[in-house]
Amino acid sequence: MNSTPANMIETKNITKVVDTTEGQLQILQPISFNVKAGESVAIVGASGSGKSTLLSLLAGLDEVSDGDIVLDGKALKGMGEEERAQLRGEKVGFIFQSFMLVQSLTALENVMLPAEIAGMHDAKEKAQEILEKVGLGHRGTHYPNQLSGGEQQRVAIARAFITKPKILFADEPTGNLDAANGTKVENLLFELNQGSNTTLVLVTHDNELAERCQRQLHMHAGELTELSNDKDVVENEQLERQAG
Amino acid sequence: MWYKLAWRLFRHEARRGELTIILLAITLSVAAVLSLSLFSERLQSALTERSADFIAADRVLDSRKPVDPTWLENAEENGLNTAHQVYARSMAFANEQMSLVSLRAATPEFPLKGDIKTTDQPFGVGVVTEDTPKSGEAWVESRLFQSLGLELNSTIDVGDMTFTVTRVLSEVPDSGFNVFGGDPKVLISIDDLDATNITGPGSRVTYSYFFTGESNQLDDYYDWLEPNLDRELHRWESVEDDDSAIGRSVARAEQFFLLASLLAIVLAAVSIAVAAQRYSQRHYDPVAIMKTLGASKGTIQKVYLLQIIFIATLGILLGTAAGMLIQQVIVSIVAERMDITLDGWHWRPLIIAVFTGVICALMFSLYPMLKLFSVPPLRVLRRQMGAGLSSRLIQFVAAGGAILLLMWAYSNNIVISLILFISGIVLVASLMLVTYGLIWVGRKLGQGKMGAWQLAWARIQRRSMDNSVQLISFAITIMLLLIVLVMRNDMVQQWRDQLPEGTPNYFMANITETQLPELQTHFSDRDVQVDNYFPVIRARFVAINDEKIRTDVTKEEEENVEREGRDGLGREANLTWSTTLGEGNTVIEGTWLSDEEKTGEFYGVSVESGIAENLNIGLGDLLTFNIGSEIVNVEVTSVREVNWQSMRPNFFFVLHPKSLEGFSPTYITSFHLDKDRKTEITGLMQPFASVTLFDVDARLDQLRSIIDQVSVAVEFILVLVLVAGALVLIAQVQASMDERQQELAILRTLGAKGTMIRASVVFEFIIIGVVAGAMAAVANELALFLLQSQVFEMQAAIHWEFWLLAPAIGAGVVGILGAISCWRLLSLNTSHLLRQMV
Repeated sequence: MNSTPANMIETKNITKVVDTTEGQLQILQPISFNVKAGESVAIVGASGSGKSTLLSLLAGLDEVSDGDIVLDGKALKGMGEEERAQLRGEKVGFIFQSFMLVQSLTALENVMLPAEIAGMHDAKEKAQEILEKVGLGHRGTHYPNQLSGGEQQRVAIARAFITKPKILFADEPTGNLDAANGTKVENLLFELNQGSNTTLVLVTHDNELAERCQRQLHMHAGELTELSNDKDVVENEQLERQAG
Repeated sequence: MWYKLAWRLFRHEARRGELTIILLAITLSVAAVLSLSLFSERLQSALTERSADFIAADRVLDSRKPVDPTWLENAEENGLNTAHQVYARSMAFANEQMSLVSLRAATPEFPLKGDIKTTDQPFGVGVVTEDTPKSGEAWVESRLFQSLGLELNSTIDVGDMTFTVTRVLSEVPDSGFNVFGGDPKVLISIDDLDATNITGPGSRVTYSYFFTGESNQLDDYYDWLEPNLDRELHRWESVEDDDSAIGRSVARAEQFFLLASLLAIVLAAVSIAVAAQRYSQRHYDPVAIMKTLGASKGTIQKVYLLQIIFIATLGILLGTAAGMLIQQVIVSIVAERMDITLDGWHWRPLIIAVFTGVICALMFSLYPMLKLFSVPPLRVLRRQMGAGLSSRLIQFVAAGGAILLLMWAYSNNIVISLILFISGIVLVASLMLVTYGLIWVGRKLGQGKMGAWQLAWARIQRRSMDNSVQLISFAITIMLLLIVLVMRNDMVQQWRDQLPEGTPNYFMANITETQLPELQTHFSDRDVQVDNYFPVIRARFVAINDEKIRTDVTKEEEENVEREGRDGLGREANLTWSTTLGEGNTVIEGTWLSDEEKTGEFYGVSVESGIAENLNIGLGDLLTFNIGSEIVNVEVTSVREVNWQSMRPNFFFVLHPKSLEGFSPTYITSFHLDKDRKTEITGLMQPFASVTLFDVDARLDQLRSIIDQVSVAVEFILVLVLVAGALVLIAQVQASMDERQQELAILRTLGAKGTMIRASVVFEFIIIGVVAGAMAAVANELALFLLQSQVFEMQAAIHWEFWLLAPAIGAGVVGILGAISCWRLLSLNTSHLLRQMV
């Protein structure tokens, strides 16, 4: 049996270059950083800075142009689409800004989805249990369009945690929510995260949300810098504003 | 687990109505194919059965000598039913008069198919009887009552035996239809045959053995029997393709069924493709989510393939049920008024229908599904990312292949299928070019101020690829609807024209020259309109270019001639003369006989094209006939095509009047007598006992009723095709509405008035409808010309009315459908629209 490595995520000189009509565009400069198991990391930065690209690479949704990513001891390099999907199914959970629930499935069925994909037999019971945890046990039969934004995101959180992933990627999890709902979702996210000792990587604009993470990484024009404390976050934003 | 997920998605999607169009399209195509082919097979087998009635069995073995009894024993051991009849020509005597008769001595089992009809009164209405004459009894045809002055229970002598006439014989199933009047029939029991002593050496006797049974049993029996048969002695007859007027009408209707259901399938398939495309696009997100959550491509494929299997299964089940119900309804309507039983079950239509459902569901959703499978998981973050697959080649290959495969499976004819298919591709390509041209011109004309019209044109041009596809499918849909509509109208009309009111329902033959003036006066006094009188001279056809013709010409020709139901050839030929070309006759080679004197050594003769082909007779050939003791030589000056369905006397040989001068002919003619005057017929014919009368009313009625009923079926198909067409239009409009949603939301958000947006969308659909309608009218004309002239052998005509009607229909239908869909969308408020876009 493998012992959990100290670093849940390791990245080394990862870059992303895309082809455009005007030639090649480097979206990510070489980036290297590690995330320890159970750690929570926020990636902050302006729109277009490359945060989501970085997230997609870390989660194996996209392929790096160069460099290496290792998730829980497994190198993504050389893995095909299928292997990466399998790895995601085993180790990774997701929360998105636009919730990304399957509209034609009920809340309960949406939560069951990753468990079923992973071949868990008690998917329904587990889904119901975790829906209760996020306070939506009574809304299981509702379809996404019958739920409020906050409720949809709570369903998405329940879905993310059902398979007890080692790593959770969250892309602007409160971006589409009002303040009250945003806070509720934040609390829930961190509560569940701590409870299950999941490694959390979240991308956000929201300073308050970023501050709740143990580490903050800042993306600017495809470059990543580590911020040591809260002050740096604020200063960085000021710098960006001046630059913008 | 994936099957649970598939089922769950299927259930929810079905409940939300997302699968309705696909389901309806599959159901419709299966129902159309099943009901039409089942109906057509049942009709065909009913007609075969009816043809079997004409030969009184499924198979007949004719022999010039009695056959080995073991042959019959073997047939019975093989599970076949058998009956036996002996035919002989003989003289009958009564009341000191005599007449040549066709004697039939039958076993009690005769006939195995069809019915003997008898009556108590000469020329009375025949009633079906299960009996055959008992020993000592004779059933005699009405004509013989006339010519021998018979009454019921009087006696008649045939050969050495005296019979009591107990019934008037109206119909025997295997008697055929012969306007030239075979000898009157006398039916007796086979037990009395020997006592007549007429089957001795030198007599012309035919021994017929009748068989019925399952076709495989019959085939097995024939396989066993064939080596024993002697071509000179025996002839094996089976139910041939029905070449009668009824058979041909039904054959043409079947071609129409085939065409219409092919079109219905193509339409249904298009709607499946459109609906599947839409379904696929709506599932880009779920697929991206599932992939992100770790689902493998294989799992996704299984989940969606299973959904297609669910929907195909459901569609096929519903379609089968609907198809059976529909055909049962048609069959019960038809069987109610048509004198044929429509029973029996056929597997082929069911297999083809299920095959159609499967092919439609799989092949037409293949490309949308492949696109769906290629959606990258990254779409969860990059919302604008579509499917990875962009080549449409697969779509064209899959959809084209499927259509070709269905056409082939359905028509059993690769050539016709290829012709239709390639013409279809050419049509689509031309329509595509025209569409691009029109869109370009429209946009140029519409440039300027941004009103509803300009907005509409701008939208059409911006999505020119999508719009071309849409426009073409609208155009093809309208065209197919027009084709089916016009074909139905023209075909039903031509059928009805074939048998107009007043079509002759009686034939008279054997009218002598001396009877002629008297008969003409007699009939006109009684207000009965009689057609032309055709002189007939019985002759023997002896030689072609001095080369002697073998007995009965050849076996094959004899069979052909008999199938046509005309005994005019063999050694005996019925000659007529005229210099006027008869109705329904067309000269295809040479020139028609003129009034002028002969130019060469001989007078001219015009030969019917079928017989000319069979006997290899060409222009300039010298034909020799033997009339009594005279020899008549004539030269072939023309070859005619004859419409045998005209219900008027027609001839294989029409000679120049001069060539038959000096011979005394008999005459034949036809006349129409209304049904309510039917009782007058005995009185009408009374003074002309020797004239042979044929009543073809029953045949005409049967023909009319089949035409009426087939017309009902044709109309029903029109409805099916209309429904299929409507499905395509709805699917297309619905699909394009999804695309429009975002644009509408933006326009609404920017403050565009609802009326303006509505008007622009409706205008857009009207423009598309008009253009599609106009293109459909042109394409329709071309397609109809080809179909009518090449496939249906009908008179092709231009249908000007549709040149105006088609664009109007296009504008109306497409506009209304667009307006309805658009109303629903615009009735939602802007925030709802925007939320739906997320």
